[in-house]
Amino acid sequence: MYSVYKLIVTLLAVTALSACTTTEIDEFRQGTTSLTAGESIVILGRRQNNNYETEGNFVQCVANIVGSGKDGITVVPEQEFLDAMFPFFEPRTAPMRTAHLKELMEIDQAKERLAKYGIEYIVWLDGLTQRSQQAGTISCTIGPGGGGCFGFGTWQDDSNFEAEVWDLDTLESVGSISTDSVGQSYMPALVVPIPLIARVEANACNGLGNQLKQFIAGKN
Amino acid sequence: MDTGDNAEPEPDKCRPDQGRMPGNQCDGLDDNGAMMTSLLALLSGLHSRLKQAIAGATVVTLAACSASTIIVDGSYPSPLVRKLPLTIGVYYPEALRNFAYTEIDDNSGKDQYIVQSGNSQLELFNTVLPALFENVVMLDSLDNANSQNGIDAVFVPEIAEFQLGLPQKTKLKVYEIWMKYNMKLSKANGDYIADWVMTAYGKSPQENMQSVDSGVQDAAVVAMRDLAASLTLGFTTVPEVNEWLKANNYVTE
Repeated sequence: MYSVYKLIVTLLAVTALSACTTTEIDEFRQGTTSLTAGESIVILGRRQNNNYETEGNFVQCVANIVGSGKDGITVVPEQEFLDAMFPFFEPRTAPMRTAHLKELMEIDQAKERLAKYGIEYIVWLDGLTQRSQQAGTISCTIGPGGGGCFGFGTWQDDSNFEAEVWDLDTLESVGSISTDSVGQSYMPALVVPIPLIARVEANACNGLGNQLKQFIAGKN
Repeated sequence: MDTGDNAEPEPDKCRPDQGRMPGNQCDGLDDNGAMMTSLLALLSGLHSRLKQAIAGATVVTLAACSASTIIVDGSYPSPLVRKLPLTIGVYYPEALRNFAYTEIDDNSGKDQYIVQSGNSQLELFNTVLPALFENVVMLDSLDNANSQNGIDAVFVPEIAEFQLGLPQKTKLKVYEIWMKYNMKLSKANGDYIADWVMTAYGKSPQENMQSVDSGVQDAAVVAMRDLAASLTLGFTTVPEVNEWLKANNYVTE
């Protein structure tokens, strides 16, 4: 019996150590960036694609990372910005390139509203998390004497996001930051399922958010 | 021992910590009896719980047989555009004011969901139109338009088509709504100016455990915002509308 317990503990330890994430962050700078007191940025999710749209939770996560800490940057909440700038940033009408941004800034009402919020940079987040390499099965039964699950499942998650930064002074793109976070998750089930989930999206958010904070502040 | 009417009662043979059972037996003195009492109490409790469970299951089953009604309720921001120097009369047809879409279950053929969006449609147009035109006059009927002084044109929106995409049918993780509107613009005397079609699309955020109600709500609000954006930015670009606006010097380009 003791050897069975030892085997289970060993298996769990091996899988726990293996359920980790690797994150790669790339930065490409095209111009200088800096923020002074009173200036802010807005982080928006791209929602023009038919097959997917950047999840609002991820955008909020990155905004929280960028806005936190002693070196936190003032980030205008996404929905507040969309409502304030309505109808110019809806999925159908949002500027896709900086040339469109120039056209937008020719509209007096839009220009005044952006100035009122003190927005210096618009950050567009685009990407999604995809699941692949799913394997294994878990069966669960329940009966008069009790219930439980038995089996093993595993899958890989890949979070791929890119942040493009637009400067509202020069009306040009000043750079982009991309992150690719991959992790393998496991779910052994010995009576109860034991989820060992790789926090892929959370790691992508942390990495991208911190890198973006440094980028906007001009520290990279 | 005196067993007559004046006889003294028998001394209590049970210990103080023991209760009395039917037949003057004490708890604990007879294990089988105690077990029977406990079993009877358990069965009695189960019986009442079983009755409650059956009643609850009946209510749920009956509720599942009827269609669920979803009332779309959203708030829409006022568009950030320059107003056109027009006084517009607006007439909302009955079909728009009380618009309701019924989704049919493919298997049973019965009504599955009823999406009521009439009030939300009115709220949308009542937000967009005052931001687009200098003056907006609500009309009870199209016959009144000519008698109202100062109305430059009459605007009548209608919903021509409504489609709902449910995850259980589309196999996606999102709820989708498509709407097709027929917009009509005429002079106060009823003469034709323009008649055009506008479409709107909205989908809910991708979530795993989203309820039908919140999914349809999210999709509907996004679709209506899409319509508002299209109408606001596209009104003057409709060829016949643009031609009429220029002819009457309401716009220069």
